[in-house]
Amino acid sequence: MAPLAGRRAPGPAGTEASLIARAQAGDVGAFERLSGAYADRLFMLLLRLLGERGEAEDVAQEVMLRAWRGIGGFRGTSSYFTWLYRIAVNEANRALERRGRRPPSVPIGPDELRLPGPATDDPSRQAEFNELRRALARALAELPPALRTAIVLRDVEGLSTQEAAEIAGVGQAAFKSRLHQARMRVRAAIGDEALVTSGG
Amino acid sequence: MGVPSRSDDHQWSQQHLSHYVEGELGLRARRRLDRHALGCVDCGRGTKAMRALVYAVQGLDGLAGVRAPATIFDRVRLATSGGSPSAQDV
Repeated sequence: MAPLAGRRAPGPAGTEASLIARAQAGDVGAFERLSGAYADRLFMLLLRLLGERGEAEDVAQEVMLRAWRGIGGFRGTSSYFTWLYRIAVNEANRALERRGRRPPSVPIGPDELRLPGPATDDPSRQAEFNELRRALARALAELPPALRTAIVLRDVEGLSTQEAAEIAGVGQAAFKSRLHQARMRVRAAIGDEALVTSGG
Repeated sequence: MGVPSRSDDHQWSQQHLSHYVEGELGLRARRRLDRHALGCVDCGRGTKAMRALVYAVQGLDGLAGVRAPATIFDRVRLATSGGSPSAQDV
């Protein structure tokens, strides 16, 4: 895993701090450059949390609008990335509340799961592994939003506990508790036998 | 404080499997779980299963080649056809 893949600082023509200052002064080009550096990763996060491309696109636009409207109040107490991600998680949760239901049954299709493959050409081993991928996708989709957010931020996105907790808007102890609950639910849904025999 | 019973250890171990695989337990707590898992099939398998689970979930590619839609700044552009950002909360 590359925990910080896709998280790149804006290029040489403008440091992040200068882009923030320019955006706060009303330079929309600077804002787009600043936020565009995180757009792909932010969109993937929304896809994972919401499970529907159309809805993720709608929410992504709303996230950028809220970020633009709120950037005047950004004080730099967290990184810009953390601040932007927090808006995204809040907007995803609002969308889920509006939707009034959980994400679709399998929002992350097995083909989108980039699990490292088993070191074998054995067809039966490969079949076990594919079944684990499907079970994992189903189990993640069934999690309530808060638990799903915890496991996506920490385990899929590879953020530190501190950063993930900040984005989720809870303290580290509460975040660890959510993460533990999420993992235990997924573990229970998949089963220890399947995890140990297929995942190792 | 008394010595914890086996059932106390079992419940405690199950509650700390996630922290165990994160490496967040202190030395004493880690030894307590290791000691218990040696004699408990459920917890021994649980530590392996939790490790396998975290490994599998971590294997999900954070980007997987997905690109943000070109329309992502459309509402910002619409909003800025006439003004600069305010300092309102988000």
